[in-house]
Amino acid sequence: MEEQLIECDVLCVGGGIAGLMAAIRASELGANVVVAEKGNPHYSGCGRRGNDHFETWIPEVHGADKEKFIDELLKTAKGEILIGRDILRAQFGKAHEIVELWDEWGIPMRQKGKWEFAGHAFPGRMMTHIKYEGRFQKTVLVQQARKRGARIMDRIMVDELLRDGDRVIGAVGVHTREDTVFVFQAKAVILGTGKCSRLYQGLTPGMMFNDGHGGVQTGDGRAMAYRAGAELMNVEMPQRHIGPKYFAKFGQATWVGVLRDAEGKPVGPFVSEPDRRYGDIVMEVNKLAPEQYGERGRGPVYMDCTGISDKDAAYMRHWHIHEGNVSLVDHMDAEGIDPRKHPIEFSTYPLRGGGLIVANEKAETSLPGLYAAGDEAMGDISAAATFGWISGDTAVAYARTVEHGDVEVTRPIIAALESRIDELRGRGNGPDWEEANIALQQVMTDYAGKVRNEARLLQGLAHLRRLRQKVDTELMARNQHELGRCLEVHNLFDVGELTFHAALDRRESRGLHNRPDYPFKNPLLSQAHIVRMEGDRPVTDWRSY
Amino acid sequence: MPPIINPDLCIKCDRCVNICTEDVFFGSKKHETPVITYPRECVHFNGCVDVCPVPGAIWLRYPMPSMIVYRTSSDYRAPPG
Ligand SMILES: Cc1cc2nc3c(=O)[nH]c(=O)nc-3n(C[C@H](O)[C@H](O)[C@H](O)COP(=O)(O)OP(=O)(O)OC[C@H]3O[C@@H](n4cnc5c(N)ncnc54)[C@H](O)[C@@H]3O)c2cc1C
Ligand code: SF4
Repeated sequence: MEEQLIECDVLCVGGGIAGLMAAIRASELGANVVVAEKGNPHYSGCGRRGNDHFETWIPEVHGADKEKFIDELLKTAKGEILIGRDILRAQFGKAHEIVELWDEWGIPMRQKGKWEFAGHAFPGRMMTHIKYEGRFQKTVLVQQARKRGARIMDRIMVDELLRDGDRVIGAVGVHTREDTVFVFQAKAVILGTGKCSRLYQGLTPGMMFNDGHGGVQTGDGRAMAYRAGAELMNVEMPQRHIGPKYFAKFGQATWVGVLRDAEGKPVGPFVSEPDRRYGDIVMEVNKLAPEQYGERGRGPVYMDCTGISDKDAAYMRHWHIHEGNVSLVDHMDAEGIDPRKHPIEFSTYPLRGGGLIVANEKAETSLPGLYAAGDEAMGDISAAATFGWISGDTAVAYARTVEHGDVEVTRPIIAALESRIDELRGRGNGPDWEEANIALQQVMTDYAGKVRNEARLLQGLAHLRRLRQKVDTELMARNQHELGRCLEVHNLFDVGELTFHAALDRRESRGLHNRPDYPFKNPLLSQAHIVRMEGDRPVTDWRSY
Repeated sequence: MPPIINPDLCIKCDRCVNICTEDVFFGSKKHETPVITYPRECVHFNGCVDVCPVPGAIWLRYPMPSMIVYRTSSDYRAPPG
């Protein structure tokens, strides 16, 4: 195994929206920046083939008072608000500048020269999301990062952070095609590894990559941050999405239609006829609706776009493509599905989890030298882009005040990863990553899934630990590609174990955390539920945000 | 399972191999027709189809379990008998 040392001021882990925006900003400020990306940043992450809605305050549209915009967001929040006002202020203080920059760089943010607001909207209320043509956004961001001198390294999966005292001084990762380990010596590290897929069973159990978010954002950032001693929050709070049944693709607000039951009655009170300005926000207010209709014998539930004009159909198709859903359009064409004629069944998608890395309005985590942005800290494209940028600012300011740490003091961490790699590659038989991942999904879904009570959680945790022991001693990788998948599975097991701990500690029911043994919401727990490592054990805590 | 390559049309440019983040084409050799080593790891994002310079050289076949459910005017009729 070869080992390479790479030195930089700022290391961005993940070349997604947040990682690339961080790299652009940090390079612009004169820092020596490296982006380590697991795949190819032109086609990686949730923004790989585009997005079409960007949440932003635009002063000339919404008025000069940003606070009114934030008030409206809080008033019309579609779920539990887990974000402090400071964070919203930071996001919307910057988002409109980012929108202008993207437009300038060649991501069309205005339509025919004007802001077009549509989707994610309650009829009659303030509109908060502009439409933008994001199909080639990743290519534009990669070009902008390179133009400013950032070095982008493909096919490196970063797996551990390196710490000297309290401070994060770098990271170590592995190439997913060649037998090489990369040790990064960095004054500041920005995590932007995205969502946490493959933790729970997906739409088709066993077909783990039928996942609208992509298959390789596996909570690596959360797991390595936790192992390095950083705080995570609300790891036990699951989320669910909604979309076409069996074909896992997101983009709820892009549909020009009404969610209706089998008799044709609208599921929600917000729209009764398709309207391209609004979509049907009932899907965001209650993502469980299709499942609940099914359980009450009133399903199926359909996205009904029948009767829309050819112009609206062409509009929707255009935006599906910019939303990253080319394959949805292709599949419908190939099967002869015409949304003007055929209602499309929608379902509630399975649980997702992972929680967040605790990061403040400057993208600082609880560890000096470590920053986090994007889906693993805040969520959505607007947050990923703005906090990516903000993290670049903060990381460079910090990097200017410190010298490089000595990575040799972290040799035990590097050596442990190298010996794990040797073991995984050296075993001739045993479970492969897929088998282990399916076993993990099974225990997560059955024991930390839709219904959680203490006995069930304790039994599930005990079983997960037994599985973990096998993973640690028997897992095997036939090649470098499977090695990366095995390391992902290790990370997923860490996030899974934390989910059980935090779910046991949250003695209430709230959102999708359903504990029949504590059936009520406890208002005193409307706080961030923190988990961090002490010694080698997770400890939990509550804090206001 | 996706993707599928027509070896008669492929010009062995490696673009699909380079862009696939999931690395479905892992193990492909430079300037040879790509091998589809991990078809189950395809997330159907169409990147490979988009970058391919030759129309029809590569396409995706969507797996049966992910086929969309939709309603036609005759779906709710009871079967005969
Ligand atoms: C189809 C679709 C449509 C969407 N539409 C919208 C929309 O219209 N509006 C909106 O606001 N949001 C939308 N979203 C969500 C939005 O795309 C995400 O919120 C956003 O991309 C998050 O950016 P990120 O940088 O945090 O993560 P990502 O863009 O997902 O990037 C994470 C990156 O980290 C890399 N990575 C992961 N682990 C490692 C590791 N260990 N080492 C190195 N690299 C690693 C990944 O390969 C990836 O490149 C949509 C999502 C999808 C899937
Ligand atoms: S992109 Fe098309 S032509 Fe190039 S290697 Fe792939 S299938 Fe062949």
